[in-house]
Amino acid sequence: MYYQLINFGNEEFHAYPNKSLYWKRLNTLIVSDLHIGKSISYAKNKQFLPPYDTKEILNKIFVSLDKIKPINLIIVGDLLHDVFSTLSIKDQDYKKLSQYMKNTDFIWIKGNHDKNIQIEGFKNFTNYKIGKFLFTHIPIKTSLFQICGHYHPKVKIVHRGKTIFKTSFVHNEKILILPSFGILTGGLDVHSKQISDVLGKNNLSIYPVGQDKVYKL
Amino acid sequence: MNINKSNLLLLHPLNKWMKKKKWSWFPHQIETFQHVRTGSDVVVFAPTGAGKTLTGFINPIDDLIKLKKFKGLHTLYISPLKSLANDIVRNLEKPIKDLDLNISFEVRTGDTTPYNKQKQKQKPPNILITTPESLALLNSYENAKEFFYNLKYIIIDEIHTFLDNKRADLLSLNIERLQTFSPNLQRIGLSATLKNKQDAKKWLCRKKSKIVSYENSVLPKIKILQSKERIPWSGHMATYSINEIYKEIMKSKLTIIFVNTRAQAEYMFKNLWLINKKKLKIAVHHGSLEKNLRLKVENNLSKGLVDCVVATSSLELGLDYGDVEKIIQVGAPKGINRLLQRVGRSNHNLNTPSKAILVPTNRFEFIEAKAAIEEIKKNNLDKIDLKEGSFDVVAQHIFATACAGQFDINDLYKEIIKAYPYKKLKLNDFKQLINLIQDGGYVLKNYDQFKRIFQLRENKNIYKLVNKRETRKYRMNVGTIIENPMLKIKLGTKTLGNIEEVFIQNLSQGDSFIFAGQVLEFQSMKNNLVQVKRSKSLISKIPSYSGGRMPLSTNLANSVRALLAKSNMRDLYPEQITEWLKRQKNISKIPKKDEYLVEQFPRKKNFYTVVYTFAGWHANQTLGFLLLRGFKEFNYKPLGFVANDYAIVLWSLKEVKEIKTILNLGLLDKHLDNYLEETSIVKRLFRDNAIISCLIERRLPGMEKTGKQVLFSSDLIYTVLKKNEPDHILLKSSYEDAKKNMIDYDRLREILKKIDKKIILKKLTCISPLAVPIILEINRENLSKKETDEYILEDLENEILKEANVLSIN
Repeated sequence: MYYQLINFGNEEFHAYPNKSLYWKRLNTLIVSDLHIGKSISYAKNKQFLPPYDTKEILNKIFVSLDKIKPINLIIVGDLLHDVFSTLSIKDQDYKKLSQYMKNTDFIWIKGNHDKNIQIEGFKNFTNYKIGKFLFTHIPIKTSLFQICGHYHPKVKIVHRGKTIFKTSFVHNEKILILPSFGILTGGLDVHSKQISDVLGKNNLSIYPVGQDKVYKL
Repeated sequence: MNINKSNLLLLHPLNKWMKKKKWSWFPHQIETFQHVRTGSDVVVFAPTGAGKTLTGFINPIDDLIKLKKFKGLHTLYISPLKSLANDIVRNLEKPIKDLDLNISFEVRTGDTTPYNKQKQKQKPPNILITTPESLALLNSYENAKEFFYNLKYIIIDEIHTFLDNKRADLLSLNIERLQTFSPNLQRIGLSATLKNKQDAKKWLCRKKSKIVSYENSVLPKIKILQSKERIPWSGHMATYSINEIYKEIMKSKLTIIFVNTRAQAEYMFKNLWLINKKKLKIAVHHGSLEKNLRLKVENNLSKGLVDCVVATSSLELGLDYGDVEKIIQVGAPKGINRLLQRVGRSNHNLNTPSKAILVPTNRFEFIEAKAAIEEIKKNNLDKIDLKEGSFDVVAQHIFATACAGQFDINDLYKEIIKAYPYKKLKLNDFKQLINLIQDGGYVLKNYDQFKRIFQLRENKNIYKLVNKRETRKYRMNVGTIIENPMLKIKLGTKTLGNIEEVFIQNLSQGDSFIFAGQVLEFQSMKNNLVQVKRSKSLISKIPSYSGGRMPLSTNLANSVRALLAKSNMRDLYPEQITEWLKRQKNISKIPKKDEYLVEQFPRKKNFYTVVYTFAGWHANQTLGFLLLRGFKEFNYKPLGFVANDYAIVLWSLKEVKEIKTILNLGLLDKHLDNYLEETSIVKRLFRDNAIISCLIERRLPGMEKTGKQVLFSSDLIYTVLKKNEPDHILLKSSYEDAKKNMIDYDRLREILKKIDKKIILKKLTCISPLAVPIILEINRENLSKKETDEYILEDLENEILKEANVLSIN
């Protein structure tokens, strides 16, 4: 798999086109905002999205774990869309998860969507510190480098008279935001007010995710 | 005409009023009265000005007077436009008030206040004038049956606008519902003159039915602008003739200039103002302008307060503007019916001819204009093709039915297949649509606990809505018209109209553009509002609007081919066109009526292939893509193609040698799926399907979601569904829609079936005169969306790397 090198906090990270981030030195894989079970949650309000998102997201995770075999899998929040979401995970997938847990620590940072939900084998945290890095769903006030999710960043690109939107990794000097790993999840412009309030407007490094490659702007 | 028959109407309650006005009954009015009286459904074909509206009401008014004090709803009148509905009320008011008849009538559209709607439900008028969407809504209320049980007539106005689209499907289903409520209901259709009158009758009427038609013997006077200027090779803005157009406006009291797109309207309007030395009152009218601005223009038009209005199809239908003296059609007519409809907007007097001037914007359009005039002289109209009904509309109708109360699916199915567009609807597809409304209809049964409708335990054929709250969702989603995501344009606090989001996204702060005839500067965008200020900039963009590009009709295309093949050019065209065609004849060939000319020549470093199909834009676009695929397969290294109404040009690195092997029916079967997939045509249609079938909710003003997000999530749904459940009914439905509407499948198939024996291949050393216009249209390579996205990213990244003077790391 092609990756894009991201230098952040004097460490090297690999950004993959499947929207995961890999910290090679510590053999740690990071993903964010999977929103497993979004379809079933919408079905409550009679919006019947195709019920295949959970299966697809989990398969994407399994493929990554097989390939990379990380020691840690850190989920920086919103693994689940809501309480109902666990209903959409099949028994065989629970079994599979527990198989992977034998070799990989599943570190689940709680997000705004999945605060009070438990899944067996996951280690729950509100945030998680490794050296001078803090893993958290929404950035907090700290002098540490933060890796977080929540905003589902995407970037608007206007080039040669065409406009496209692409999911992106984005960071400033201190904060890196991962794109959403989900299937039915929308996004927020990196220059929107919400993201600007966190990252500021200038000196952003933006990495749009293409079909088989992560780009750098 | 039979005297006895005419006597029938002499006893009609309106006869007194007709006499007072010194009018006499038209033969088609007498005939209609007779047929309807004896129980037939009727479709009336008559030109504007021949009392069509009144014709529809003759029987209802007669009945109502005879029945005396009829309580409740007696007649329903369906109009395609809200504005027309209001106009009908005004027309009906005159005789009813003059004669002091005891008949109540009201209008009900989206603009009717909730208070009045409620009042109408409790105390229905005798005659209700409404639109297809409002009818669908009425049918979704629990008391619909009681409301309509005594309905005697349904009148469908401008039925020719309803024959070939999803709105027609919706209307057709609702007419059958009314028939169920009131079995003796009679149907009356009013239409402009059509070629295939039988088809219109089939669409509307039950077995016992009649066609009544009235042909106008006075032909319109149409000529082509005799320009002293050079007619350009290509382009669509008619800048060359602007001074001559201005002179034509000065010559007439009131002129409507029809153009084909909103962008053309803005451009024409701006250019006329630039040369408006006489300070003529010129206005612009198109569908994106704010309603109040449009109403103002319409008002001024009917009062004769303007000298000229530049308009798109927004002024084609409806209201009579008696004082319009002349129509100027700028750009290709595209079809005979359309041109006649537009020309008919001038001089609504049956006995004097309408006057029109055609202004071709390029050379091919000159030939097209000429051909159109010939066909109108021969009264050779375009056929309107009836289409099979769309699935998504049935889904919406099922939802509506559930809102009105529990229903038996077998009864519903039987009712639906009575509607003409759904005669061939398969029971299995219908059941899948039931499932779609129930819970999305996925194979994976995940949503058992969240169903929208459910089967009764005691009778599995009866379905019922889960709870009343769902009716609100249906009512927010009713209808088949899906607008592109639009943003409101605000100048200060005043709203000017709506603009496509895509256009605004391409603007940066400070860019100026033309809208509503003004040069505006883009300032900011917040929550669906685009703030602008007036600008003095001379360089400005013109918003383009996707869609609305109509393909050349088959009928007119054939006539263009026949005209081209004629040898007496000098009698037909001005000098410059003759010269152009003569040179073509010397260098290459002018194809005969049934021949397909293919030209090949090298140019710069590439090799060009031009195929003249005259198949219309949609079919040519499709064929261009298929040929690109075919060329790839033969390793000719194709680089791109461009299509217009008349031809396709492809350019490749290598010489294309086997064109006859590639260009045939096999091409269509082999690469069509690929085409639909890669060009995201089906994906776009899926969005409409998902909204119409109520799978996802449509965006309404005031909702947080911007249009882009709705588009985004329906794209995601499409991708997931395509991957996991390619047989899903909505994918099937989107695919069928693409075949019916976007790619002109049947038309292309007809051409490819016979093309291999009719290809005339010309190998040339350089570009031919006939090819120049389409070569000039080449401005971008046609890549699929996926490829384009990657290309843009790649290109941008390279540019930045170059700027930074570093090489790519990967």
